[in-house]
Amino acid sequence: MAVAIAPPTSPSVPSLAVARAGPRYWLHGYWQMFVWDLVNLRRYLPILGSILSLQGAGLVLGIGLFFRHIPESAAIYLVTGVPVLSLLTVGLIFEPQIVADQRAEGSYEFVRSLPVPRSMMTMAWYTVSLIPALPAMVIALLVGMARYHFHLDITPSVVPAVLATSFTGMLMGYALAHGITNPMTTRQVSGMLVFVLFGFSPVMFPATQLPHWLAEVNLWLPFESMATIIRDALVKGMVTGVGRAYLVLGAWALVSGLVTARVVGHRR
Amino acid sequence: MMTSSPTRRAVRSATAEADRWTFRAERVTKVYPNGVRANDEISLHVEPGEVYGLLGPNGAGKTTLVKQVIGLLKPTSGSITFGPHDLVADPGAARQLCSYLPQAQLPIDSFRAREAIVLCGRIRGGDPVAVERRADELIEVLDLGEWRNKRGIALSGGVKRLVGFAMVTVCPGRAVILDEPTNDVDPLRRRFLWQQIRELGNLGVAVFLVTHNVLEAEKAVDRMAVIADGRLLAEGTPSSMKAEDRGHLRLQLMLAPGMGTPALPPLVKGSTRVGHNLVTVIDEGDAGHAIRWAEELMGAGVAEEYALGATSLEDAYVRLTGHGSRDDEGGAD
Repeated sequence: MAVAIAPPTSPSVPSLAVARAGPRYWLHGYWQMFVWDLVNLRRYLPILGSILSLQGAGLVLGIGLFFRHIPESAAIYLVTGVPVLSLLTVGLIFEPQIVADQRAEGSYEFVRSLPVPRSMMTMAWYTVSLIPALPAMVIALLVGMARYHFHLDITPSVVPAVLATSFTGMLMGYALAHGITNPMTTRQVSGMLVFVLFGFSPVMFPATQLPHWLAEVNLWLPFESMATIIRDALVKGMVTGVGRAYLVLGAWALVSGLVTARVVGHRR
Repeated sequence: MMTSSPTRRAVRSATAEADRWTFRAERVTKVYPNGVRANDEISLHVEPGEVYGLLGPNGAGKTTLVKQVIGLLKPTSGSITFGPHDLVADPGAARQLCSYLPQAQLPIDSFRAREAIVLCGRIRGGDPVAVERRADELIEVLDLGEWRNKRGIALSGGVKRLVGFAMVTVCPGRAVILDEPTNDVDPLRRRFLWQQIRELGNLGVAVFLVTHNVLEAEKAVDRMAVIADGRLLAEGTPSSMKAEDRGHLRLQLMLAPGMGTPALPPLVKGSTRVGHNLVTVIDEGDAGHAIRWAEELMGAGVAEEYALGATSLEDAYVRLTGHGSRDDEGGAD
């Protein structure tokens, strides 16, 4: 039995939905999803922040213990590489695992059914991913400076460097998280990335320490470029090829963004 | 000059509003990449204010159909429109116009119950004051007051389900899609839930109720479709579905453990066995013979008890799908 109904009269019932569009709708969606992600992760963000801070400080101090006297240049290389790891861990490593969990428990489709533009969902997540990463990055730098007694020459380019690094990492993680439908595979791939990032990418050490072929490969991977632009923003004249690094990173961001747009908007 | 009365104008306006928001699926077919034809030329329409049941056994294609409505899957062919909107071409509009409660529990472990409801209302674009008030109203009518400030991780499955229902209806879309909304909910609160589903209809919302619980659906839906193997087998009101069974009675036998299905006499027009339950359909005129047959089976130790009653929608469902309907059936569709 179909019933023709007038608009709701009860003051407590919001008006029935209409299809909205425009910047206000996008901004509203961004803000509400930011709050949703923040509340969703509120039990984990302090823990995550602590883990990242410990990870950063631990790497800065722990690797220094390998040497009786670590040369200042090596210490600076180490300390200025650690922020890259802090910035990448949430977006590149944890995001795929969170999405894998959502898929495994069946809640993934509810989140995807929320009336928020996909791009705003992505940006909201990006903002949240910075919350534990930025303090961890600062702590790692402060600990490094205190331990190895050097000063950083921080320039305003630290802002684009940090944003470009974290944004590219987040997009890569997002593409991975939403592109791979099998939760187990997602976890395995993100686990593998940890090893690639920590063990085989010239982030905390110069590429010259790597076999030639691996150094060549890394020229085209994003991690060395991330370290280059962060280092350039923290220490004057320590690195070269900053322009190229931005280009490589831009290419990775573009490809990851396109893949993200494809997989997030894709309907099977 | 003739003028129409305010009442007539109001009725005309309401009818026009209803016509503007008719939901239509036309020959919707979904073939997955692995070749499974989950939906096969399904056509149906739902009016505003209608509670429309999608019934069918597990794997029938019900959830696949609603996922295409909400824009999570794309039909292989066919069209889905909602009022002026083409939901296949514009999945963004689909998400704005339709609220969706999936079969799985919602991800609210970190959220307090009321907070999750309010936040969903805000995400759906509701006015903050109205959303807060409506959230409190839903908590009240669903009897969730005890848990309003409890985190999702501390809630039982049934309470979580009710919170999920409140989340998707606090600021309802023009359509609300509920996939097995009563799963895990206790009988008392199920009644509250059904009342609220009815209320949604009264607000002009088209409610899609996906279920395999025929007995509950019979009381709640205005119209329904029975789907099996991806095809729409029948559509109509619960009464029209039962029409074919008029003049028939249902004889239900509880067979003794370990007993096979006994030989059925010619008076049995149809039968289904679910576990120890043998459900048969007989003509009203054969009631006396049927009772004697049932008592013979009890005397022989084949059956432990029997019950004779009017046929229900479940019998029509069984006839159409060849499946029994049980409350404890589970599993994804």
